[in-house]
Amino acid sequence: MASRRRMLLKVIILGDSGVGKTSLMNQYVNKKFSNQYKATIGADFLTKEVQIDDRLFTLQIWDTAGQERFQSLGVAFYRGADCCVLVYDVNVTKSFERLNSWREEFLIQASPSDPENFPFVVLGNKIDVDGGNSRTVSEKKAKAWCASKGNIPYFETSAKEGFNVEAAFECIARNAIKNEPEEEIYLPDTIDVGGAGRQQRSSGCEC
Amino acid sequence: MRREEASAAAAEAGTPRSPDLHDLSDDSDYAAAAAASSSHSAMRSDLVDQGSGETAKVDVVYEKERVTIHPTQYGSGRISGKLRLYLQQGSLFLSWEPNEGVDSLSSNSATMEIEKYRNLYTIKALPLSDVRFIRKHTPTFGFEYIIIVLSSGLAFPPFYFYNGGLRELFATLKKHVFIIRSDDDPNVFLVNDFQDPLQKSLSSLELPGVATVANAMSRQNSLSFTSSVDEAGHGSDAKHGASSSMTEYVSKQKHRSNDPGRDLSIQVLEKFSLVTKFARDTTSSLFRENHSSGGHTYGRQQQEYVLDNRANDKYKDQQITPDKDSLLSDSMESNKILAWGKPREQPLSVDEWRSFLDPEGRVMDSKALRKKVFYGGIDHVLRKEVWKFLLGYHEYDSTYAEREYLAVMKRTEYEAIKSQWKSISSTQAKRFTKFRERKGLIDKDVVRTDRSVPYYEGDDNQNVLVLRDILLTYSFYNFDLGYCQGMSDFLAPILYVMEDESESFWCFAILMERLGANFNRDQNGMHAQLLALSKLVELLDPQLHNYFRKNDCLNYFFCFRWVLIQFKREFSFDQIMLLWEVLWTHYWSEHFHLYLCVAILKRYRSRIIGEQMDFDTLLKFINELSGEINLDRAIQTRRHYVISQPLTGLPAFLLEPRLLCPSRRTVASTYKKTRSCEIPAI
Repeated sequence: MASRRRMLLKVIILGDSGVGKTSLMNQYVNKKFSNQYKATIGADFLTKEVQIDDRLFTLQIWDTAGQERFQSLGVAFYRGADCCVLVYDVNVTKSFERLNSWREEFLIQASPSDPENFPFVVLGNKIDVDGGNSRTVSEKKAKAWCASKGNIPYFETSAKEGFNVEAAFECIARNAIKNEPEEEIYLPDTIDVGGAGRQQRSSGCEC
Repeated sequence: MRREEASAAAAEAGTPRSPDLHDLSDDSDYAAAAAASSSHSAMRSDLVDQGSGETAKVDVVYEKERVTIHPTQYGSGRISGKLRLYLQQGSLFLSWEPNEGVDSLSSNSATMEIEKYRNLYTIKALPLSDVRFIRKHTPTFGFEYIIIVLSSGLAFPPFYFYNGGLRELFATLKKHVFIIRSDDDPNVFLVNDFQDPLQKSLSSLELPGVATVANAMSRQNSLSFTSSVDEAGHGSDAKHGASSSMTEYVSKQKHRSNDPGRDLSIQVLEKFSLVTKFARDTTSSLFRENHSSGGHTYGRQQQEYVLDNRANDKYKDQQITPDKDSLLSDSMESNKILAWGKPREQPLSVDEWRSFLDPEGRVMDSKALRKKVFYGGIDHVLRKEVWKFLLGYHEYDSTYAEREYLAVMKRTEYEAIKSQWKSISSTQAKRFTKFRERKGLIDKDVVRTDRSVPYYEGDDNQNVLVLRDILLTYSFYNFDLGYCQGMSDFLAPILYVMEDESESFWCFAILMERLGANFNRDQNGMHAQLLALSKLVELLDPQLHNYFRKNDCLNYFFCFRWVLIQFKREFSFDQIMLLWEVLWTHYWSEHFHLYLCVAILKRYRSRIIGEQMDFDTLLKFINELSGEINLDRAIQTRRHYVISQPLTGLPAFLLEPRLLCPSRRTVASTYKKTRSCEIPAI
């Protein structure tokens, strides 16, 4: 039972409307990009089997509506999350500035047992747009913010081009695994995985 | 003689139901009825066990002749019978046996129909312990009647007391079973234990329609209304009076609705059951293309209702007198008819529309118009005109001239509001964050709204810009509400139909008057509606409700998208125009969309419960009812349903492959075929 529970990793993607949450999820899971995604209403998720250090996991990736006023739905969708992905659009400063409130809102609504150490990953998306010329948030600025929030791993991605998406989600999965302390106690064979998880923090993620 | 009869009845009632009957359908209503029925049988067999060892003593304590049912609304068939209460083994039972022969003058074919009903409606031994409540109706004119509703939620058709005797009936009941008058409604007599946890929460909903309905219903506490109370409703509405002609029926309806002294709760109860009925029936035929050239009249619809109703009665019959063979063949027969469905009526045509208007352009009978639209939708060429009435932009009693004048005035007004943001310069915008944010959000959403519909297709599409302008203008017109995701979903079909910026704006603005609460910052409206939905499911399908409760799904967030944008994402562009115009009629209820939610959930209840879906799985399942359809599979599935589903909830339209052929009448001809396949797959 404990091992079955261990298999599912729940990941929540948050961020302003139109930063590319749905696209990132679909690029990662289906290796597809479409211009025709509709604005997400409510929430949806996709699942993907991932293998991390010889162990199989089911990554359940939740895509949520980006408009602020739908945040009250979070209570239902955020609970039991193992990792939270904060996405912004490198071409829209406002979406970066809102990362903090997304993070705080998540912690309030999901109320994880250890909010200080709850794993977040930040993705700066749409780096492909206009060859990077319309960019308004620098990588340096983003990394500085991530560092100030307890060394949140940071990735720059393009859901459209599929750039860095795989790497970002591997990091997300590894962080999600780390957030399952309960089962690590129950299962002897998770000691290795826990070790691998810790190890990746310094190497797997660019932070 | 009586003794023998009763014990035989009891033995019969204890007979296990044939598994074949189960296999006829996985329809939710059927399943509910079957579940109720099997528990019923189990209960009964206990009695039989007790009774079979020794000779069961039967003591008739009440008997009344000429207690009559009106199984059809044609009046050609009223079946008189004998209602009895009798004691056996200390328990009280009710029976109703029809007299031989038909009670009225009727044609041969009608007689045959009646013969069927006679068997269907016979009650051989109903333990009063299975009765939830008895509703007494004492109309000012006409015969008194009662409706018996079982704990399972099944109800019997109204029993009319041609020779009186209601008072004695209740007096007798009081002697032998615990029966109390409901606090809320003096005409409801509760037979079993009763508590009312629902009422407070329901009345606090402040959803007028639902709340009243639910209030009225709550005193019956968690009924599985499914097939049965439809009858109660229809029974009291349609069957009452049993007019021999449709006109008489209609006039009676009118009279009744005009009668101020009429018991409001009855009205609500009836309306509620009718609505439930239509959530099932109308939606199942809503999206069907009507291939037959002949017009489908109201009479036809009624006839189909009778068929449907008869099939419902079969479950009841199985419950009470499981006469396997006749049932099987009978079910199969009505299966065929029912599975092929009840075609919806022809959409409102140009000629018909003209006939609704007086020479100056007033709609003479708005109720009839709304009814017409409710049953058939609107021919696409008329939508531009008729939607304005349905939405409330035009008054039904306005003249052509008044409407023209209004259009001119409103156009000027629209331009004035639009100029408010049009005149914002780029330097001004830099210091106007709120404006930039709104504009940014709208810009992002219009380019991802219905872009596969040719009208909005392609780069630099002017119509997309118009969408943008209207939404931005609206966010100034209603600055407090502003823009909220989902609004563009509502606007796109409206603009497509109106093909006029100002008219679209005003229609949209009026729609937002109705639906604005959905988009409130605090999500109040949504929470209230989801709560109402949960209460409706609790009333209509307690079993499903319990399942949701146990699995922590009572927030109904999995229906969020359905409710927020009224199924926009669940259906193709064509279909949604039809669905919305039906909803906008507010013909049966302004909360028809909630009943539709219930109908869809009920339709899939066996899968939801059978597969033990948790919240996540359920959300996924619901979301996936929309979107890409697997054509082959859908057709196959549909075939399966055609064969196996006697009383379909929604699959008829969910799986109707004719939908995949663009209809001549609608926008489909201009609409990409690949996209019109956006019907939910199973």
